[in-house]
Amino acid sequence: MSQSIISVENVTKSVISNDNQLSILKGISFNIMEGESIAIMGTSGAGKSTLMGLLAGLDQPTSGSITLLDSTISSMDDEQRAKIRSESIGFVFQNFLLIPSLTALQNVTLPMLLRGNEDQKNNELKAKALLEKVGLSGRETHLPTQLSGGEQQRVALARAFVTQPKILFADEPTGNLDQQTAQNIIELLFAMNTEQGTTLVLITHDAELAKRCQRTLIINDGQCQESV
Amino acid sequence: MKANKMIISWSWREIWSGQLWPVMVALTLIIACVVALSTLALRVEKVMTNQGKTLLAADLVLRSTNPISPSLINQAEEAGLTVSTQSRFQTMAFSDTKMQLVTVKSVESTYPLRGVLNLRDETEQIKHQVNPNELWVSARLLSILEAKVGETVAIGDAELTISGVIIDEPELAYNPFNSIPNLFIHSSNLEGTGAIQLGSRVRHRLFINGEPTTLAAFQSNYELQAGERWVDQNSESRAARLMDKAKQYLSLTILMVILMAAVTLILTCLHYVRNRSETVSMLKSMGSSRAWLRSWLTTQVLIMFVVAFVVGSSLGLLLEYLLRIPLVDILPKVLPSVGIQPFLFAIGVSLCIGLPALLIPLMRLLDAPAINVIQKQTVQYSKKSWWLLLLPITALVVFYGSNKLVWMVLAGLLILFIVLAGLSYGLLTLLAKLKWSAALSLALSRISRSPKNSMMQLAALSGSLMLVSLIWLVKSDLLGDWQQTLSPDAPNVFSINISPEQRASYLQDIDSLTLPRSDAFAIIRGRVTEINDIQTTDMAVYESAETRILRREVNFTWMDQLPEYNEVVAGQWSGEKTVSVEQNIADELGLKLGDKLTFEVNSQSFSATINSFRAVEWQSLKPNFVFIFSEDAIADLPATWMVSFRAEENQTDRVTQLARSYPTVTLLDLRTMANKIQSLLRQISWSLTGLATLGVMAGILLIFTLLRLSLNERKREITLYRTLGASKKRISHTLWAEYGLLGLSAGIVAAIAAEMILFALMRWGFELPAQLHPAMWFLLPLLAVLIVFASLSSVIKALLKPLR
Ligand SMILES: Nc1ncnc2c1ncn2[C@@H]1O[C@H](COP(=O)(O)OP(=O)(O)OP(=O)(O)O)[C@@H](O)[C@H]1O
Ligand SMILES: [Mg+2]
Repeated sequence: MSQSIISVENVTKSVISNDNQLSILKGISFNIMEGESIAIMGTSGAGKSTLMGLLAGLDQPTSGSITLLDSTISSMDDEQRAKIRSESIGFVFQNFLLIPSLTALQNVTLPMLLRGNEDQKNNELKAKALLEKVGLSGRETHLPTQLSGGEQQRVALARAFVTQPKILFADEPTGNLDQQTAQNIIELLFAMNTEQGTTLVLITHDAELAKRCQRTLIINDGQCQESV
Repeated sequence: MKANKMIISWSWREIWSGQLWPVMVALTLIIACVVALSTLALRVEKVMTNQGKTLLAADLVLRSTNPISPSLINQAEEAGLTVSTQSRFQTMAFSDTKMQLVTVKSVESTYPLRGVLNLRDETEQIKHQVNPNELWVSARLLSILEAKVGETVAIGDAELTISGVIIDEPELAYNPFNSIPNLFIHSSNLEGTGAIQLGSRVRHRLFINGEPTTLAAFQSNYELQAGERWVDQNSESRAARLMDKAKQYLSLTILMVILMAAVTLILTCLHYVRNRSETVSMLKSMGSSRAWLRSWLTTQVLIMFVVAFVVGSSLGLLLEYLLRIPLVDILPKVLPSVGIQPFLFAIGVSLCIGLPALLIPLMRLLDAPAINVIQKQTVQYSKKSWWLLLLPITALVVFYGSNKLVWMVLAGLLILFIVLAGLSYGLLTLLAKLKWSAALSLALSRISRSPKNSMMQLAALSGSLMLVSLIWLVKSDLLGDWQQTLSPDAPNVFSINISPEQRASYLQDIDSLTLPRSDAFAIIRGRVTEINDIQTTDMAVYESAETRILRREVNFTWMDQLPEYNEVVAGQWSGEKTVSVEQNIADELGLKLGDKLTFEVNSQSFSATINSFRAVEWQSLKPNFVFIFSEDAIADLPATWMVSFRAEENQTDRVTQLARSYPTVTLLDLRTMANKIQSLLRQISWSLTGLATLGVMAGILLIFTLLRLSLNERKREITLYRTLGASKKRISHTLWAEYGLLGLSAGIVAAIAAEMILFALMRWGFELPAQLHPAMWFLLPLLAVLIVFASLSSVIKALLKPLR
């Protein structure tokens, strides 16, 4: 019996927008087990990205508690959450979010640097191996602006996996890509996920894609349902 | 270790791609300015204090226009003080082939009482005193006269053999126009030169050394006679005051440069923060701690400071060298080293400005929330780092607290900024009322849609344009005024010290050499002692710093008719025992027509009534006088005569002939002096141009930064237009029209403002005639539009780049 790696209890999130209180999440609870892959679905504006931000500790819930890897991140401060992120979490975003002033290789070594791993020679070896795995050997010194969207997302994948994170969050990783490229990225994502045994939280609008995950959560009107 | 290397190279790239480089350039400019100015100021100050007493050649000096009385010397010696006397005058020195106007210092063997006198004789030995029958000349004089040590030179009527060369001497004057070389003779040879005669201009000094208390007692017991004054280390020399003025002008220019650089810095940083907050959010989402981010930003700041410091210091030293060129004759050859003080000072100033300008926005950057990678949030920035503003404010208060000028300039700039903003905006709204092509009216409506933003931009743009043109025009107006003194047909040789017996034959000789000459003028030296029977020494104006005429001897003359180049502004030239007074002096002394003035010449007193006031152009190099008397008032007083004439470059032999036949007559040959002045002006203009260029660079950098930033802000909006299907042509036309209008109106407003400020500066600041600069009215708007277009074309490609 595997352990729960993320547990969410009665989480709400509301924001003040134009002087109105807007409740985005209205009391959500669920658990995610170690090594699981889980898809989060829902209409646009349902609150998927908001939920992911909370799960990853990028933001704080209005109420309720979130426990991640045995730490109650909903009661931790910014700095402590950042530490957890650097140690155990990887991200892939819809709009890639690479650092524009760093080369592909440097973008990949960056998370190791942030972790305090200063052996740059070793870091680069690791990064090169990953870039090769995502099919970008020879493009190490290119800047993000010199890469196509698909190539940028592959760099982002390499960056996400380089620290062998326990959990990988992916927010519509293929939203900005054409079908063929998207397929490619998804294959890579699942391949690396299985290889490293990472827990995967994937936000997507694509039902086909969601099917490849072990579970699917659907966010609707601030509530979440497990789809069976 | 290698990780640091990566962070450094990353930071370096961040500086360039993040467009932080203007920060670096601005810092460099600030450091260059501060290093240059403080190095120069320190050098000059050090030279001055180093030489302190050396400069005086004694602890205390009594200067007098009359020979020092032997009884005074006795008194001093009885009081236990050491004394030595000196007489100095200007006369002609002749070698076999050449001649030169020289300053003769006739001294005793005890000279100098303080400081060093190093004289090198034929056998290369160094002597320290001047003995009877010796003649020591400066190396420069030796080369002008084309003479060698051991040869004979005529000094007035005396013939002396050159004993050697002066290596070091005390009493150096800080006067850049003092180009007359020195020589030393012993006081026993003074008589033989024939230079001392009634009415000739010989100045005397009594050097005194002794215990400070004895000195003070002696000084306070002695009652100064007319024409005498004490000089000690504390008395401020005219040269020092001049230097102060120059320093003030420099400081003002540099303050402007620093101000513009500081604004560039702040704007660039703010822009950087807006641009990079996404990167920081990304780094945070990947788990970077604040500490890590802080060190990342610190690395960038450090790199910028270090590069700016290295480049800025070198630039500053170069600039200091340029500024120093005109002073080369008056500064000692081996300059005192200034140590690291200017560099520390530069670091201090750049930190004072740079830390708040960089850190306040950068600290904000640290507050960019990680969640921004998913959902843009409005962020409450902490105001914690605002205390950094205390740094420049404290520095300003500490250094300039009592300097009204600086505060006035700062306040003036602020008001000006507001006025300029209003003016340019008004101009644009006016334009908007007229009918224009589609692109232009679209542009105009864009500008008026965000009035606050547009006004800021306009004010900053016209403000910096104005500063740029001010810095440049003040420079060229100053130089132009100096240049004007040298008109092409003005008399260029002045003969003074002509004795009454020589006068007739001297004038005849000039005429027979066919040199065009002026009339001869009598010169009688004397002073004003009473105004309407009130002693001038009892009047408040006697002590006034600006009005020096009552405290010194002036040249009097008499004429039948006033010279036609003097315009009579009040009264008329008639009456017995009357005098005509120059109008500015008359104003300062509060004189009216019909006032009675009493004068003293050689302790002989006489009076005259004022019959007229005259306007005099002192720069014209024509013989001019403050007081011109009717003949009956002073004609029977002992006088020497002066005459001026013009000699062309190829008529030097005639001048030489004249000089040789009348060795006691002093020739002021302005032909060489004019060349000297010309080359000095060239040098000064070099250094001022160097400085002005820095100012213009700072200004253009600021304008460029401003425009690029403003255009970059547009990026999102333009992308939107593109997506909505606006044609490239349409967008670029609107942009060109909008920014062209912006530049044009800023240029026009800047030209008007610059003209007004320049007028005030020239009139009241430098006290020169103000003039209009029609060329600027066209050039400044043109320059503005050019800079605008240059910045626009440097970004427009990127702005219109198709979306991916
Ligand atoms: N800080 C905020 N201020 C105001 N409104 C917010 C804020 N954060 C989220 N929202 C709103 O909450 C809702 C949920 O946003 P969220 O980004 O989580 O949706 P989503 O499910 O990811 O949608 P999509 O599929 O389009 O990405 C949206 O309507 C959004 O406008
Ligand atoms: Mg979303």
